[in-house]
Amino acid sequence: MTRRHRQRSRIVPWLALPLALACSEPERTDAPATPSAEVPLSVWVVNYPLQYFAERIGGAHVEVTFPAPRGVDPAFWSPDGDTVAGFQSADLVLLNGAGGSAWVGRATLHADRLVDTALGFADRLIAIEAAPTHQHGPTGSHSHGGSYFTVWLDPWLALEQARAIATAFSAARPERADAFERGLAALEADLLDLDARLSRAARSFGDDPVLFSHPVYAYLTARYELRARSVHWEPGAEPDAAQWRDLERSRADPPASVMFWEATPLGATTARLTALGIESRVYSPCANVPARGDWLDVMRANAEALAAGPRPGRG
Amino acid sequence: MSGPLYLAWRYALRHPAKTSILVAAIALIVFLPVGLQVLVGQSARELTARAESTPLLVGARGSALELVLSSLYLESRPPEPTDWAQVERVEATGLARAIPLHLGFQARGHPIVGTTLDYFDFRGLHVAQGRRMAVLGECVLGARAARALGLAPGGELVSSSETVFDLAGDYPLKMRVAGVLAPSHTPDDEAVFVDVKTAWVIEGLGHGHQDLAAPDAETAVLAREGSSITANASVVEYQEITPANADSFHFHGDLSAYPISAVIAVAPDAKSRALLMGRYEGENESQQVLRPVSVMDELLETVVTIQVYVVAAIAIVSAATLATAALVFLLSLRLRGREIETLVKIGGARISVAAVLASEVVVVLSLGILLAAALTLVTSRFGSAAIRALLLS
Repeated sequence: MTRRHRQRSRIVPWLALPLALACSEPERTDAPATPSAEVPLSVWVVNYPLQYFAERIGGAHVEVTFPAPRGVDPAFWSPDGDTVAGFQSADLVLLNGAGGSAWVGRATLHADRLVDTALGFADRLIAIEAAPTHQHGPTGSHSHGGSYFTVWLDPWLALEQARAIATAFSAARPERADAFERGLAALEADLLDLDARLSRAARSFGDDPVLFSHPVYAYLTARYELRARSVHWEPGAEPDAAQWRDLERSRADPPASVMFWEATPLGATTARLTALGIESRVYSPCANVPARGDWLDVMRANAEALAAGPRPGRG
Repeated sequence: MSGPLYLAWRYALRHPAKTSILVAAIALIVFLPVGLQVLVGQSARELTARAESTPLLVGARGSALELVLSSLYLESRPPEPTDWAQVERVEATGLARAIPLHLGFQARGHPIVGTTLDYFDFRGLHVAQGRRMAVLGECVLGARAARALGLAPGGELVSSSETVFDLAGDYPLKMRVAGVLAPSHTPDDEAVFVDVKTAWVIEGLGHGHQDLAAPDAETAVLAREGSSITANASVVEYQEITPANADSFHFHGDLSAYPISAVIAVAPDAKSRALLMGRYEGENESQQVLRPVSVMDELLETVVTIQVYVVAAIAIVSAATLATAALVFLLSLRLRGREIETLVKIGGARISVAAVLASEVVVVLSLGILLAAALTLVTSRFGSAAIRALLLS
């Protein structure tokens, strides 16, 4: 209110004052609560690898919540409103940032609490090929495709995700930065060891082709230069005739002798593959909490499965 | 009651027409300047309080008053649209937090405000029942809106279609009530809050439809060429977002170009505010940044200027009315000469007769002032809302 206005508005203030006081509103105090170093950082994540990284880095200084039910693929899971409200209450929300978890784009979240762990390597994300495009209405054709999201199958990209997490933690709790750095260093050592194991394992295939049951291994095959071909089979479902024909077509020359699965396939499928000279092995992406062990245990088991090389006596 | 006062009271009751006219005249003389002062003062306080709590507004160039009034009061015609890129632009400066506002749609007469969670924190709005909106299609009601609509968490509210005769335009969206806010005694109490993405769905920019690659969508497919599918007009687009179809909702194109009405820029200090305002000084700048309090002050200057002229006019009229009232009393005395003479003859002391006559004046003045006070009270209760409605209409 300007001085001129104030002067003019003092015409009969003694009459207006009691009424003005009667009609005045109570003051509100809504100062945000200051974060306390004693309270663990509340961190919600969208998949299990991020939970593992966050717990390794944050230790006792973070409380990590991964609300997706066991057994579902978090990339295709959508939380209900109450669960999203839980994400809203978190100090930080760790996003995979490479496609997957499409629900994030439809949810109401605090933008300044979101941590895109793949932001540092956005230019190295691998786009999903042949995503169908469609057109309706006047807006032109568009596709609902995106990038492959299993970035953590490449330990170097996993390390970049871990670094992004450590940076976010340190920004949120600067007084705990040293602890977070120590957690990151230990995780980094394990990831580099995993990389060394996978490098050796991949070399065992030489120029031999490798079959994958699902197109989710793009970052693994790109990092270790595997001659990979993928089909789109589910471990729990028996492939139909068309899928078997696709397999025949997709087998390279020389034909692949090993197919890696996300989980143990059905016995009948394994038997028919064996008859075709293809050995079935499990290479779990471990997007959700494993039945036994942790993410690193599963990745090391994957490396061992890969290290077994082509099927003995092939050809 | 003392004798003179009783006689004066009985006289006033005996002559209701004369008394009423005098009381009304006195009441108006007192009420007009006082009521106007209360009205203007209260409106000014309310208008400036909302403006003062909103540091900066960014919007498309155009009417500054329209941008400020619609952004602060959420009710008037929305300003020229700007785009989401302006939110990103403010955030990118690192000088302020950006809170988008998407205005223009209504649900059963209540404004739908598309925004982010930051708006609730910024305005100090607390959820009284339920929770804040969390997924696409959910809304949070202001306290008065919830009461007027008779809705509680779990209820449903349908947006009002703005383009009844435009078949390609927006369609009503059935929203689910996620929560109800505690009363804030501000325009937020009347609003229906949704995520800005839900507002885009209402606008028809985001939508969900059946999976065109699925076998049951065959009748909706006009053509297939390789991995490209063209749908015909029968494609089923959803008018309600449910857990079953939520995954199908998507937005086309570049979100940066999506429309919003304004951006509230919350700068932490005066320096950041000044620096941010400087970023919008270019000659070819398509956006404007405003301090709402400055715009409201300009508006109030106009109101106060008008008020001064009105008060001056009232003063002149009041003087004339007072003179007329005095004349009425004097003429009344002359007409009542025989009555006064009788009172003296039956033993009434002249001072007692004078007291009776003076009491008549006091009774009339008292009734007039009481009536003026009642009118002022009514004005203080409803006046500012009326002024705001007038300004926003």
